[in-house]
Amino acid sequence: MFKNLSYIWMAVIIMLVQIFLLDELSIAMWLRPMIFPLVVILLQMEWATIWALLVSTLVGVVMDVSLGGSGLYTATLVPLAMMRRATLYLVTKRSIEPGDQTSVLSRLGINQLMAYATAMLAIHHTLFFTMEALSFAHPMRLLATIVCSTLASVVVASPIIKIFTQKIVSK
Amino acid sequence: MHRLIEFIKRIYVILLFLLIEGIAVWCYATATPYTESKILARTSAMGSAISGAITDVRNFVSLPEQNEELTQRVAELEEELQRRDAALEELTAESSYKPIVDSLDAKFSFHPARVVAMTTNRRHNYIVLDRGRESGIRKDMGVITPNREFVGTVVECSEDYSVVMPLLNTRFKIGGRLVGSDYVCSIYWDGTSRYEVTAVELSKYAEPRKGMVINVESDRLPLDVKIGEIKSSEINASKSAYSVELAIAAEMQNLNNVLVVENKDQQQIDELVSLFEN
Repeated sequence: MFKNLSYIWMAVIIMLVQIFLLDELSIAMWLRPMIFPLVVILLQMEWATIWALLVSTLVGVVMDVSLGGSGLYTATLVPLAMMRRATLYLVTKRSIEPGDQTSVLSRLGINQLMAYATAMLAIHHTLFFTMEALSFAHPMRLLATIVCSTLASVVVASPIIKIFTQKIVSK
Repeated sequence: MHRLIEFIKRIYVILLFLLIEGIAVWCYATATPYTESKILARTSAMGSAISGAITDVRNFVSLPEQNEELTQRVAELEEELQRRDAALEELTAESSYKPIVDSLDAKFSFHPARVVAMTTNRRHNYIVLDRGRESGIRKDMGVITPNREFVGTVVECSEDYSVVMPLLNTRFKIGGRLVGSDYVCSIYWDGTSRYEVTAVELSKYAEPRKGMVINVESDRLPLDVKIGEIKSSEINASKSAYSVELAIAAEMQNLNNVLVVENKDQQQIDELVSLFEN
């Protein structure tokens, strides 16, 4: 079962944490945790792609307006909506079967869910930092930023994913 | 019609994705001049691979014509060289005087390049050349035709390609000088006609007339690079300066081969200017 109302609350909290806490942290240029993609990553997988696309656009626009991204957040978040099912299948070999009564995310173990979220965060961070830099003049710096920021995002995201498995998707 | 609707129904999610992504990237690209030039350079490099093939075919077809033009130009240059050699010999024989024109020409070098992609129907047009940093092309170098007509300025370079902001771009501005005088002016394109640019702030004493030529006034280009000929002029309300309509000398819609001009002293000039500005 997927509790939509609880999910909305979680999404709002994630975005507020990103805007008012994580984005204000100035640890290092190459360490910028971003957890707002979780709103799209953990969205109910059974929903039609069009809804995931609209949600990702909404979240992207909110982040762009709040953080002054000028379209960067939307441009890098929208592709995630299109890649969710393929990434889930590639990472966990699970897909949505017709006639399934429970949410596919609720049938994943915490490790599988973490693996899927890590892969999606890595894709997002790669798109985001590459588009932000728009240059391959310093490839090692770019790679370090992607890897370190993805790891930091996964660390920050792991308690959220645990809460998600306990409170929002129940088996 | 029914099949078309069915087809659109099948792919409408992808279409919507492309639309949203396109709008977002466009917003990001136009947010700052940095993102605009970077994204332009990247997309142009990709697009140029396709249009490069088309241009190759077109160039191959027009090779005889271009060869004739180049041969004519070589002949003219040879004549010019001989005239200068003769003048130089005469002058050095008579005195220790060294002609200024010699030192002026020697400080510029010319890199030939080919146009692989370009636009002329927008307000922010651009040109992509098939030469980049590897060929010695750098940002801010001037671009001219083999007939010494002004084209634009290099704004971005990758290893193998460079993007030129041409005269036909509403963001482009350059200084000009009325040939045969010391009167300078500022030249820009207002985005209307693809064959005309506007020169403003030309002194009232310049007395511009139809047919007079305006050359580029820039330390990045030689003195005799032509921008265009005066078509009409109008004095401003305070009767202090002229506003002039110029017919662009270069055939901007039919560019194939161009020369990228490098001023060998540019670094020195830039350093001096930055010292002054700081």
